[in-house]
Formats: sequence, C-alpha cells, structure tokens
Amino acid sequence: MFDLYWTTARTAVMVQLQYRMANYFYMIGMIAEPIIYLVVWSTIAAAQGGEVGGYTPGAFAAYYIVWTLVRNMNIVFTPYGWEWRIKHGELSAALLRPVHPLHFDIAYFAGWKFVVILLWLPLAGLLALLFPPTLHPTWLEVVVFCVAIWGAYLIRTMFLWLLGMVTFWTTRVSALYELYFACELLLSGRLVPMALLPAWARELAWFLPFQWTFGFPIEALVGQLTPHELLLGLAMQLLWILVGLGLVQLVWRAGVRRYGAVGG
Amino acid sequence: MSVLRLAYHYLRIGALNELQYRINFWLQLMQSAVALTVGLVGLSLVFYHTTDVAGWSRAELLAVMGVHILMGGLIGALIQPNMLRLMEDVKQGTLDFVLIKPVDAQALISVREIRLWRLVDVLVGMVVLGVALVQLGETLQLLALFAFGLALACGAVMIYSFWLILTSVAFWVIRVDDMINLFEGIYAAGRWPVGIYPAWLQGLLTFVVPVAFAVTVPAEALTARLDSSTLALACVLALLLFLLARLVWRTGLRRYGGASA
Amino acid sequence: MADAAISVAELRKIYQVPEREAGLRAALRSLVRRRVREVPAVAGVSFTIAPGEIVGFLGPNGAGKTTTLKMLAGLLHPTDGEARVLGYQPYRRDYAYLRQMTLVMGNRNQLQWDLPALDSFELQRAIYRIPQTEFRATRDAFIDLMDVGAIVSKPVRNLSLGERMKMEIIGALLHRPKILFLDEPTIGLDVTMQRRIRSFIAAYNQRYAATVMLTSHYMADVEALCQRVIVIHHGRVRYDGPLAGLVDRFAAYRQLEVSLAEPADLSHYGEVVAANGVHVTLRVAKAEASRVSARLLNEQAVADLTIEEPPIDDVIEQVFAT
Repeated sequence: MFDLYWTTARTAVMVQLQYRMANYFYMIGMIAEPIIYLVVWSTIAAAQGGEVGGYTPGAFAAYYIVWTLVRNMNIVFTPYGWEWRIKHGELSAALLRPVHPLHFDIAYFAGWKFVVILLWLPLAGLLALLFPPTLHPTWLEVVVFCVAIWGAYLIRTMFLWLLGMVTFWTTRVSALYELYFACELLLSGRLVPMALLPAWARELAWFLPFQWTFGFPIEALVGQLTPHELLLGLAMQLLWILVGLGLVQLVWRAGVRRYGAVGG
Repeated sequence: MSVLRLAYHYLRIGALNELQYRINFWLQLMQSAVALTVGLVGLSLVFYHTTDVAGWSRAELLAVMGVHILMGGLIGALIQPNMLRLMEDVKQGTLDFVLIKPVDAQALISVREIRLWRLVDVLVGMVVLGVALVQLGETLQLLALFAFGLALACGAVMIYSFWLILTSVAFWVIRVDDMINLFEGIYAAGRWPVGIYPAWLQGLLTFVVPVAFAVTVPAEALTARLDSSTLALACVLALLLFLLARLVWRTGLRRYGGASA
Repeated sequence: MADAAISVAELRKIYQVPEREAGLRAALRSLVRRRVREVPAVAGVSFTIAPGEIVGFLGPNGAGKTTTLKMLAGLLHPTDGEARVLGYQPYRRDYAYLRQMTLVMGNRNQLQWDLPALDSFELQRAIYRIPQTEFRATRDAFIDLMDVGAIVSKPVRNLSLGERMKMEIIGALLHRPKILFLDEPTIGLDVTMQRRIRSFIAAYNQRYAATVMLTSHYMADVEALCQRVIVIHHGRVRYDGPLAGLVDRFAAYRQLEVSLAEPADLSHYGEVVAANGVHVTLRVAKAEASRVSARLLNEQAVADLTIEEPPIDDVIEQVFAT
C-alpha cells in the first residue's frame, strides 16, 4: 500500500511540475479572494480603533496569508468531476483495479500538494511584504499546524467524495453543490475568522465539519489557542475523518451497486 | 449598421438555442440566489462590526454590489463566451471560417455567442440596485441616471477591450480556464469600492484590469459621488482602450495569418 | 466443463429505461411515478470457454457484446443468470479476481497523458503489486515484442494513435492476467499496427496460456486469432463454434467465379453479384451450386470456373439479417 501511495504521489508530482505555469496562474487567480477580505477587514479594524473581534490589521494579514496555503490544501477532486469520470469510463477503469479508488485520489492530490506548497512559498513571501503580518507561533503551534493542514485535506477529501458520489443517482447536482459550497464558505472561517461570526453561527458551526478544514488550521498557527484547544482541534479532525470515511464506505458500496445495475 | 443587424441575428439564434435548455434557467436562478445570499451575508457581517467602510454606508455598498452583479451578468452573458469561442477557434484553426466571411472580423467574433441565462444576473443586479436606492431615499435625477448609463457603457467597453487584448495576446501562453479564473478573481475585487484598496492595488484595478471603471464609477454616478471630470476620463479611456484593442487584434490577426500559411 | 475458464449460463441484463412523454403534465406526473420500459440488452446467453482459448465475440452494434463483456469484467451486475470466470463471480469484484483479468477498450485510454508510458507502467506495478524483477522482465519482453523501445520514454501525448494503443495493451497486460477481454483493440488503427497488435495477442496467449475474448469490427482480427467465434444478436447467441462452421451453417449459397471467352448475360443462372467484362461473379444456392456449374460449362464458353465460399463479412451480415 505504501508503494501505491508513493508511486501515485510521485506520478502526480511529475505531471503537475509539467503544469507549473498553469498551477501558478491558478494560485494567482485564487489570491484575489483573500486579499479582498484582508483589505476590507483591515480597513474596518483600523477604523474601529485598531482591532475588530480581537484581530488587528497585522493579525488579519497573518490570518489571510496562511489562508492561502490552507485554501490550497483544501483542493481535492471536485464533485463536478464525477460526471466526467463516469461518462469517460474512468470509473469503470477504476473498478477494474484491485484497489479502492479512494486511495488514488488521496495519494494523487497529496502528491500535488507538495508541488503546490513549493510554488506557494514565494507567493507567501510576496504577500508578507505587501501586508506585514503579525505572527509569533510557538513550536507546538507549528507542529499542530503541519498536522492540521493534512487533517483538513483528508476531511475535505471525504466530504467532497460524498458529494460527488451523488452523481451515481442523479446528474442534476450542481444546485446541491452550490448550496454546500456556500454554507462551507460562510461557516468554515474562509470568508471571515470564526471569531467574527455571530454567536449562534459559531454554535451551529460546532456541529459541522467545515471549520476543522479551514478555520482551525489557520488559527492553530496565527491564533491564541491554548495547548488544550490545539489538541481538541486535532481530535475533532480525527473524528470527522472517521465519520467521513465511514460514510464514504457506505455510500460507495451502494453507489457501485447502483452503477452495476444501470451501467455506465 | 450591419454590425448591429449581425449581432441581432446571432442573439436570436443564441437565444433560441438556450431556450431549449430551460433547466439551465432554474440552475442559473439558483446559482444567482446563492451568490446573492452569500454577498448579503458578507455585507451584514461587515456591518455587524462597523457602521461604515471607508466612508461608504451600508446602502451605498449595497448599490456597489448591485452594479457588480449587473456588470458581472453582462460580462458572463455577452463578453466572456465570445472570447472563449475565439480562443477555441484559434486553437482548432476554425477561425478561418470567420475570416472568409465578408464582414468585419472583430465585429463577428464579438457577437457570436450569448449565454442567455446569465442575463438573470442583470435583473438581480437591477433589483439589488433598486433596493439600495430606496434605502438611500434618493430621488433619482434624470441626469444621474444618464451619467450612470454612460458610465456603465464605458465600463462594459473597457472590460470588452481588456478581454480582447488578453485573448489576442495571451491565448498561446495561458490556458483558457486559468484566464477565466484569473479574471474572475480580480473582478471579485469590484464588489467593494476600489477606494478601500491600497494605492498599488487601486492602480491595478483602474488601469490594468478596469474594474474600477466597470463597477465603482457607475455606482458613484448613482450615489451622487461622481464628478463630471471622472466621467469624462472614463469616456476618453474607454475610447482609447477600444482603439488599442482593435490595434492589438489586427496585429494578432496578421500573425495568425502568417502562422497558418 | 468443470475447469472452464469462463462459463456463462442464461445470463441476462435488462435495463430500465424511463419513458419520456412530451408536455408539462406528463413531466409532472413522471416526478411522482416514473414509467419505465424494460430493455433487454442481453437476453439469456450461455457459453463456456476453456482455458487458453481465443474466442471471437461478434455481433452488430447494440447486440449486447459490450454489456456481456462488462458483466464478465464485473462492471455490471447481471439481472439474472450465472457467470463464472476462473471460478469467481465477477460482480463481486474480488481483488483476487481483478488481479487475474484485464479489460482493454480500443477507444479508452488509461495512460498518463503527459508522462512517458514507462511512468504509467510503474503505476500499474504499484496497483497490481507486481514484484520488481518479474515486472522488469515482463515489461522489457513486451516492449521488445511490440517493438516500442524507441518511444517508451516519450510523453504519451506525443505518440500516434497506434503507438498509444500498443502502450495501452502493454500496460493492461503487465500483471500477466489469465483472462483478457479485448473490446475493439484495433479500432481506428492502420493495417501494420493491427497486424502487430494481433501477433502480440497471439504470442501472449501462447506464452501464458491466457484465455481471450475479443470483439472486433475487423474480420482480419478474428480470422487471424480465433478458432472459435460466438455470434450474438439481439442479446442472444446465434452461433457458437468454429469460424469455418459459421460459413457452412449460415451461408446457404456459394459464389461462382466465372471467366468467359466472350461477354454474356448470365443472370438467368443466378444472382449476378459483379460483372466485369468477361469475369462474372454469380451467387447461387448452396444445393444448386454443382448443377448450375455443370449447366454453365455445358451452355457457355467458359474459360475458367471456381466455386467459392462467400466472404466471412457477408456471412456475418446474413446471420444478422435473419
């Protein structure tokens, strides 16, 4: 199994290095979003006497620069791609192999992440020059962050797989996806740090996986979380990975049964 | 004007085509509703913590959002699809079919495609704008309305020219998807008045990607913030950019002819 | 046969196709209760294939060939009936079974587009857990046999269609499957490429005693590779036996190639298929063939006359016509 992960990840690195320019443009296109949030909230913080919700402009800068890496860690196989997979026989090909296809996605996108992180470093440096961040992480925070971004990656892989597998039953799914992504945007810490949400929204977010894929990894590095909170966060990530994995197994089995009945 | 007649015919065919896929209308409506909700939630989050952003009140920012949605609908329905088709044609070599037609090629490539349902956003934008104006309690001057229309047209021309230049120059360097991604990322910045951004970013949003003229300036026209010199500047810049786009397009065309010969 | 490689008994696959009616009311009604029609793609097929056999699986488009192959490969769940391959029930998709079979589809590509085929082979090795030494030996032997040594390190996107297909087949066979399902493996390729792939399949079959089921639109593939053919039409087996027998059974006619001393109208002897000056091709009922030839020799100035079996393409077409 290690061999499979290693070889697949290596393949991903080789392919994506060929597309490094395309990868770069993609990342640059994505940078606009956090810059917008950053500018808006820094403006507000400055106008409110230096801070809003505990965030100074420098803290916002740190939050949204780390955001760019976490956002990239959040990129997994898109649920929109499932229709393509089924239509072009990729799913059939995957079913012929003696390995669960989830392994491929996890390994392939994980390999891709190494290329992404490599490309991200100079971009982060540039952003730090333009928007000086306030960032003093402890060693523990750095370690937790390094683990948490991979936890985030796994949680999002599971849940987008779940979404994508709806395609087994119907292809009219884009409305569902839009809705999901909107909720995710609002409740994950992607639009604003969780601390800026109203109390009821924060409570709601506690019962959803979103914040553990976005807000938590960022706050682990830039926030003032206690060691207890850091460990609790990792535990929550593990919990959601297991929940996601269980659901994926369940839905996958039903989906393949369905696929075998109606044909590709 | 033969260009207008041409545009009308393509528009008609495009509309007829899209009317076949009515489900797409509902999907677009859904998508627009979700996007609008997210925008409104974002706005209320901001005003949960403050009463104004760089001198813009809540209603004024709502007006900016309305213009942003409206202009986004125009770009998505009319400008972007034509440019995508152009890139595809260049890649496939089917641009030849355009060039053998006895019409101005630039006119033809600019009116061939329409995403009818994206015009839903134009309506949504107008509704949002209307609500904002009611909240502002302003009585609309005819002059302000005229200035708004003119600013909007200038903005659209600039975005169009920007896209044409980008398409003529860059299609062999950048993948189509990345180009759209890049543009949409930058265009998203127009949701807020460009005045709030740092100076270097303002410059970028004004003179490189003309988001400022496409969204902020028309919104200023409606919220009585616009002076006539800015409007005049917008007109002049729109004209210059259009001429530049035509020049670049022609040069690109000559290169295309040279390459395929 | 107890030790058959593939055995299929009364295999059935019925698709449920929603009925669509025009109009809004019908559309609304269909939200509540969808009317479905049953379309039998495979309507009770039985055959057995012994280990090491190469069997041609023939039939027009939509006959149920691909559906049958997909059921045997475990992609589709049979509606009814029994299929066993190497003792496994394919639809259970036991990894032990998947490791011993392969499915190649002529118009599908599984190779990494932007990388040399060698890298895709590595991926196959990891997927099928092929031991290094065995993997290298197999790979190099196949590369040799296909004569692609010069291009294995080129990115796949730069290869021609035929070259890509060669790589695809190598990749699909690296784990040395015992069962090969080949769906149109030579489609769209030129004659030399077809020939090379054909001889590769033959060599693979020889060396590893693999069982092969092959569909192809090219009779040359079938004639070169298959001693036995199964013809399927409208989801049922129409013929199962040696290729030559197909001609006996279904071709109820013979072709007479006649060379005359001078042009003449022969239409009252039989159906004139082709007439080119003094060379005439006649089609006559099988039972009549010898009598007609005798009459021809008697009544016309015949320079040369041969009785031939009709070309296999024509025969297949006839099978489908009935």
